[in-house]
Amino acid sequence: MNEDKFPGHKFLPYILITPSIAVIIIFLIGPFIQSVYTSFFVSTTFGTNTIFVGLRNYIRLFSSPDYLNSAVVTFKFAAFVIIVGLSIALAIAQLLNQKIRGVGFYQVALIWTYAISPTIAGVIWASMFAPSTGLIPYIISKISGGYTLNWMTNGQLALFIVAAAATWKMLGYNIIFFLAGLQNVPGELLEAAQIDGASPWKAFWRITFPMLSPTTSFLLFVNMLYAFFQVFGLIDIMTHGGPGNATEILVYKLYRDGFIHLNTGSASAQSFIIFFVISVVAIIQLRIVTRKSIYSR
Amino acid sequence: MNSRKSFLIVLVLTLCLLLAAGTALAKPVTITFWHAMSGSRLGVVESIIEGFNATHPEFEVKPLFTGSYAETLTKYVAAYPSKTGPNIVQSYEVGTQTMIDSGAITPVYKIPEMLGETWDWAQYVIPITNYYSVDGNLWSMPFNSSTAMLYYNKDLFEKAGLDPNKPPTTWKEMEECGEKFLASGVVDHVYSTGWPDWIFEQALAIHDHLYADNDNGRSGLATKVVFNDDFGHMIFDTWTRLHDKGIYIFGGAEYSANTAFNSGQIAMLIQSTSSLAGIIKAAEFKVGTSFYPRFEGYPVGNSIIGGGSLWVTKGQSEEELRAVWEFLKYLGQEDIAIQWHKGTGYFPVSGAALKTLLDEGWFSEDQAYLTAFLQILSGKRDTAASTGVRLGPFVAMREDLVSGLEKALAGQLSPKDALNEAAEKMNLKLKDYLELHGK
Amino acid sequence: MTRKTRQEIFIHAILILLVIVLAFPVFFALVTSTLSLQESYQYPPKLIPGNQFMNNLKDAWERINMGRLFFNSTLISVVVAIVKTILALLAAFAYTHFKFRGQGLLFSMCMITQMLPLPVRIIPTYQLMASFNWINSYYALMVPFFASTTGLLLFRQFYMTVPADLPDAARVDGAGPMRYFWQILIPISKTNIAALFVIEFIFMWSQYLWPLIVTTTREMRVIQIGIKMLLASEQIAPEWNIIMAATVIAMLPPLIVLLVLRKSFVEGIAMQTTK
Repeated sequence: MNEDKFPGHKFLPYILITPSIAVIIIFLIGPFIQSVYTSFFVSTTFGTNTIFVGLRNYIRLFSSPDYLNSAVVTFKFAAFVIIVGLSIALAIAQLLNQKIRGVGFYQVALIWTYAISPTIAGVIWASMFAPSTGLIPYIISKISGGYTLNWMTNGQLALFIVAAAATWKMLGYNIIFFLAGLQNVPGELLEAAQIDGASPWKAFWRITFPMLSPTTSFLLFVNMLYAFFQVFGLIDIMTHGGPGNATEILVYKLYRDGFIHLNTGSASAQSFIIFFVISVVAIIQLRIVTRKSIYSR
Repeated sequence: MNSRKSFLIVLVLTLCLLLAAGTALAKPVTITFWHAMSGSRLGVVESIIEGFNATHPEFEVKPLFTGSYAETLTKYVAAYPSKTGPNIVQSYEVGTQTMIDSGAITPVYKIPEMLGETWDWAQYVIPITNYYSVDGNLWSMPFNSSTAMLYYNKDLFEKAGLDPNKPPTTWKEMEECGEKFLASGVVDHVYSTGWPDWIFEQALAIHDHLYADNDNGRSGLATKVVFNDDFGHMIFDTWTRLHDKGIYIFGGAEYSANTAFNSGQIAMLIQSTSSLAGIIKAAEFKVGTSFYPRFEGYPVGNSIIGGGSLWVTKGQSEEELRAVWEFLKYLGQEDIAIQWHKGTGYFPVSGAALKTLLDEGWFSEDQAYLTAFLQILSGKRDTAASTGVRLGPFVAMREDLVSGLEKALAGQLSPKDALNEAAEKMNLKLKDYLELHGK
Repeated sequence: MTRKTRQEIFIHAILILLVIVLAFPVFFALVTSTLSLQESYQYPPKLIPGNQFMNNLKDAWERINMGRLFFNSTLISVVVAIVKTILALLAAFAYTHFKFRGQGLLFSMCMITQMLPLPVRIIPTYQLMASFNWINSYYALMVPFFASTTGLLLFRQFYMTVPADLPDAARVDGAGPMRYFWQILIPISKTNIAALFVIEFIFMWSQYLWPLIVTTTREMRVIQIGIKMLLASEQIAPEWNIIMAATVIAMLPPLIVLLVLRKSFVEGIAMQTTK
């Protein structure tokens, strides 16, 4: 329904949305525009001098090996979280969707990781993987006959560990949404496929998966936002972007440049680049969703 | 009766007047002080301030722990436009040039003049005040100063068959000693360091070698780094070679190497002198200290000062400035400086304090405390290279150096290429700083 | 045993295994939080709980002023969740039950916020806080979070499915829009409100970057930063037993909220995915 249900109350809708709009303009859109503006300048720490430099901040970033490293690290990290996370979650959701007893229990027992904050996930995984005293290095050294698993000297390992921790935390959320999406797939379709002699595997890919695409693309977007932004606490607590800059994802580099090096011009440019990437993905996701919902009619 | 009445009236009026005057006098002038002294140092800072407030009832200093050095500076910068910042702020030594160029502070040397007083700056330890001076004038009040030295585990030395009273003094000896340690099997790795970027700066300064041009940024803003010559390459080569032999293990960006040393996993540690108190407490072995290792046959300079200092915000009322000045003078007092040193391990800023500490036998209890003093007092103090480096974008530049060292150690680049790459990145940052601050 | 039963047992076995694997890290944290410092450094690591939990907790509590941090986190999570919900309800009501000029534009503006997560505008927002003199205040921690796209979308979608005769009937009965809102719309929105509360509470409780830069004093920090403070020791190795004691307690509120409201949460999500 989207009609004027209470004609005669011309101002009420404006009043109703004013608080939201006010917050959005003052705290979101305003600062964002300011950030874009700042990205075209360089300035001293205390603002005593500001120089317009056009696109120089952007050009510097794209030609900086450190920034490109950040981009690659972020891409690898996000890819892991999304691909591994969604695959496992979908598999688990599929299992949960079978007609078995105790679904309610399993639901709770598998979604609770959603309530764990990324920071806490980071702390716990950091302790499990602590180089000289952690549980996992101990197990590995026993199995491999003495190999020390030390993420502090192995950048790829560090990246793997933070990605695993991040994925673990997000599993609950992904499972819940996939389960809801699966439950929307009409049972008759699957039964019909079974009667036609299609294997469950084929039925899954031909029927279930396409019908899941709104859910999948939604989760893709949410997991991407998660991997880009919300894992900041996890990175800060586990590795500080290290060793070297092996785990310095884009948002972490932004923080360091903006708040430790006090380089507001570059940080603002980095902000805008991230915004641009997110927007592109969001638009793609929107396209997929609207297209699929046309198909499902 | 009339006279009694008038007497009462006068009495009451006088009492009222006295009360009013009393309350006006009793209200102390409050000033705020933002600092980054965490952990056990926080307690010492607060007890010193309590002492000041108690002995100076007309003033009140309100300390606020505002996080790490970086966080403190960020908050200070953010508060500046709205003038809601503190009267005094602590900045790390790498922020010195930024603070000088900020336009937000009053240089400390001007304050006595502004208040109609005179002050003898020579009473403070010269190498320390040199760091924070421009053209011989002190801009910020030294507060927590340290330098770097060599710590070693006397018990492990004995275990490896080495003389615990003869630690290595040159890098050649470090290498030989390291090889003996590895051969003995007592440890897997022999030494590590904290703050690798600072340790690199020390290696240059100890040999009177400049880090950047324009006298290390002291006679004018630096335009480029000058350490990537044969000498600098030698440093990187040596460290990489020691790393490849397993003697040197990279200790992370700040203090993480201390844990390995305290738990006996490594035999030696090159670290800030301010770690001394903490190490002695945590270690279950005899701790020895010695001078920072040298390269034989090269000139003598001095080790450089690290830590932080106190800066005074511009635009304060005369009352507040007076309170600030009394507080700064108080911190420089001999007894307070000694209290600070004993509680934290930082250098006392008062020159007379050293003599008192010697006289009262502080060092005979544990000679380890003396090493730091002997090191900075026995070196040069009149050359730019031995006074310390002052650069605008120092924080970011240090990261470039650490990143370069990591690449060399990981074998990603040859030590020479790694140092050159770091120098290139650092020069770009200097160029940008000049663009904004240049004349 | 029928094939179906065997299949079911197989599925159960896998699921139970998954539950255990998933829960293992937290189990490990729980065990560590009960050990003494020496025990926590034992090699091989212990997997049997000790009895030091209360000591460790007391230690952590004092070191980071945990009571206050807990209060801060709870306050901002509850207040923001509530305010966000109210604002979203009002806005969703406006967009679905009325037609007004600029509706489309204003709605798009709300949707854009999805693409403006904090880091994208962090520096100017921080400077804004500084200019309002809100640094180290509850305002800075809460107000920038008052607008929510999730909520708006959730409620809007739900309201679009409300049959048209519902508000019609209310109007005929002489009820004004706000009366309809409070007495009819809100009661039927309960599931969605609960679901949104869970989402927003967990979101606020997990905040890290923003509190990190906007608060610096011991009194104003949140529990997530408190845990970082416990870790950030310069010269001693992390005392995992104490850190884990704090972590275990810090985990509880969002878990409790999720568990208590899980039915509504699951239902609310299911509702959203029904297109």
